[in-house]
Amino acid sequence: MDIRGILKEKFGFDEFRPGQEDVIRDVITGKDTIAILPTGMGKSLCYQLPAYAMDGQVLIISPLVSLMEDQVAAMKRQGEKRVVALNSFLSYSEKQRIMAEMGQYKFVFISPEMLVQKNVTSHFQTTNVTLLVVDEAHCISQWGFDFRPDYLRIGEFFSGSNRPTVLALTATADDKVIADMTRYLQLKSPTIHRHSVDRPNISYSMVKVNSEGEKTEWIKERTLSTAGPGIIYVASRKRADELASILQQQNVSSASYHAGKEQEDRAFIQEQFINGEIHWICATNAFGMGIHKDDVRQIIHEHVPQAIAGYIQEVGRAGRDGDLSAATLLYSPDDEGRMRFIIQENFPKEREIRYYERLIAENIPSSEAAEMASIHETGKRVIDYYLERMTIEEAILLMDELIREKEAQLQKMLRLIYTNQCIRKEVLACFGENLHSKSKSCCSVCGIEDDRWLMDMKSIVYNKKCMGWQERLIAILG
Amino acid sequence: MNLSSILLKVISKLDGERTINAGLHLLRGKRSGQTLQDVEYYGLKAFFGILPKLHSEQFDKAANLLHDSGFISILNDSLVQLTERGLQAVGDLPSFHFNGWDYRGSEMVFFGRLSLIVQTVSNFKVGEKSFMPIQKEQDIQTFVRKLLYNQRLDEPAFAYHLSTELKLALNRSEMNESQKTIITHRLVGHGLTGWTWNQLANNLKLNPNAIRLLFIESLHKLLFVIESSADLPILRKTAENIKVATYLTDSSVKTKQLFNRGLSMEEIAITRKLKVSTIEDHFVEMSIDDREFPLTQFVSMEDAEAVIIKAGEMGTRRLRLLKSEFESLSYFQIRLILGARTGGET
Repeated sequence: MDIRGILKEKFGFDEFRPGQEDVIRDVITGKDTIAILPTGMGKSLCYQLPAYAMDGQVLIISPLVSLMEDQVAAMKRQGEKRVVALNSFLSYSEKQRIMAEMGQYKFVFISPEMLVQKNVTSHFQTTNVTLLVVDEAHCISQWGFDFRPDYLRIGEFFSGSNRPTVLALTATADDKVIADMTRYLQLKSPTIHRHSVDRPNISYSMVKVNSEGEKTEWIKERTLSTAGPGIIYVASRKRADELASILQQQNVSSASYHAGKEQEDRAFIQEQFINGEIHWICATNAFGMGIHKDDVRQIIHEHVPQAIAGYIQEVGRAGRDGDLSAATLLYSPDDEGRMRFIIQENFPKEREIRYYERLIAENIPSSEAAEMASIHETGKRVIDYYLERMTIEEAILLMDELIREKEAQLQKMLRLIYTNQCIRKEVLACFGENLHSKSKSCCSVCGIEDDRWLMDMKSIVYNKKCMGWQERLIAILG
Repeated sequence: MNLSSILLKVISKLDGERTINAGLHLLRGKRSGQTLQDVEYYGLKAFFGILPKLHSEQFDKAANLLHDSGFISILNDSLVQLTERGLQAVGDLPSFHFNGWDYRGSEMVFFGRLSLIVQTVSNFKVGEKSFMPIQKEQDIQTFVRKLLYNQRLDEPAFAYHLSTELKLALNRSEMNESQKTIITHRLVGHGLTGWTWNQLANNLKLNPNAIRLLFIESLHKLLFVIESSADLPILRKTAENIKVATYLTDSSVKTKQLFNRGLSMEEIAITRKLKVSTIEDHFVEMSIDDREFPLTQFVSMEDAEAVIIKAGEMGTRRLRLLKSEFESLSYFQIRLILGARTGGET
């Protein structure tokens, strides 16, 4: 069947979205492919559709358990039952059952740490996997903002002669990240499809304030006078909670979201936001992946993001419906130093690495050793990976290099904030693109011609009230 | 209800015989010899493991609050004691209806199942067969799928039965109004989203931690009703295997099996490659749990009687004090006597 036929029959669409068709054709012909598509452009169709045109299993590596579960649930909703998720949250017996029945699944979602388990690896090396999909593939790059050392091992497992076609998917990648993806996934002269990162319906504004207190005031004023739905990205879990409660005191419909909250609470908030019951989410960067909401009107950053790629990914969650949307970044003179501190803290330093290695040599369990050497969880994953593969001296040098690279990324981000050039143009330049046509609502440097829409929309006051318990039961079950 | 009031209650039972950290271990449900022993000796089963994830900062805050209010004082050897004011305050506490010993955190598994069942039934009732499950845990999803397998979910009768059972159970449970509000608002249905702890706290004008404690207590009340009612078939199935089957730790179960096969303590220690002191802890656990525990294999009946009488006279369960009264007995023997003979509530 031709791919348009499959599109219609399996997915109910008449047309592809921009960028999808070329990727799908390459994947079906067995070419290694890198696809850089902005969030909301239908990345998952790029592997789901080819699966129906190919024999064998599709293995999808996905970095977040929650994201994986959302995707599995979404596919089941579409009527595809031959789909399963394999991750470390499964009980032993569940895992055994799934492994025993593995043959009956067409789509297998798997977390990288699961893939490196011996019995799992050997299973997939011997079965008929025709397509290996690496979702959020930028996680493989140590230069990226989301580096996950487990990703580096993926390529090592599928290096044989009969290895499957590889499709690397991501929303954002610059040349350095592309080079890393190619190298570590051992891609064979991959075709690169890149959809422009430009989102003409989103305007970019940089707003200078003098203190953290002014940021709070600005956000209060903004959420009271303009409309959501919107996401306010903040630097820490604590700040997310604090800001949400400040806004609630103003009667602004808001809630906080971060990885420190319980699963149920996170699910409730996500649903409320999608349902339009809550208009503002104060979140860490944990919020966003896998959340399908087309009418997000504003993204506000209350802190300076560590890298432009991450910033663009977060901003890209606005305006998927194509309507005008606004991205605003608030910065104060203290931000630069604060971000530098966070970056440095995330990477183990020479003294810590040496101490850590000595403790390990004394047979102290690695998690304890990391704590004693005051190395963070991420830092530990990074250093464990490298210590397995190189000498400690090399690892120390590499850490230094990584910190310098992060610093360089921060500098780029700062340039974007302080630039007197068109912000949109600068963003595009970072991804090797030129700006072809100018938006009416461009950026705070060029001026935003028409932002009345923002002011015209009324903010929504929080008015959620508990029901009586009997009333609630009847509403749910009748 | 809040953490400090529960802690005050706990301290009133441990009065002057334990450090404040014994309270933290108890609330978290630490399965160590010492904590399990405390639970038994001081009659604290109700509070065992009701907050498995309690942070020490939160606990310290509650403890400091009691201290600053002048309810407790810390003695020289860091034991914690009620003050005169504390004693009065204990009298004013509401009665708590936790049953931590029997559930140990698995009441949350029960609620996970219940909420997924309710969400599924609510959606199917209006013909919606696909939705994002509110519970992501595979074990819970599998359990619910099995339970609902072959049920006629598309007919309104099933939803009606479930609704009726819930109403009955909530009415019988002696929950207060807030608890009923909390539990029903943590459930979700078609087009009805759940309420976060913070949202409930704002609406009910309570603090979020109090809400969670009320919620846990309400689940214990609900489970009690379900277990003792024959007319709640769906809820009974939902509560299957939620109550702990054995009160022994897994490791103690293994030790018990070897002991039943006739091995001595030393032999068990060698077979299991464990220290004798660990095996001793297991025996103390067994003495607490097992009414048939053969105490006289370890001490004479006379010694056991004497220790129990002395403990009553002195009003203490502290080993060091009792040991000084019975030089000829080992600590281990005294622990066994207290375990076997104070078994159950104090």
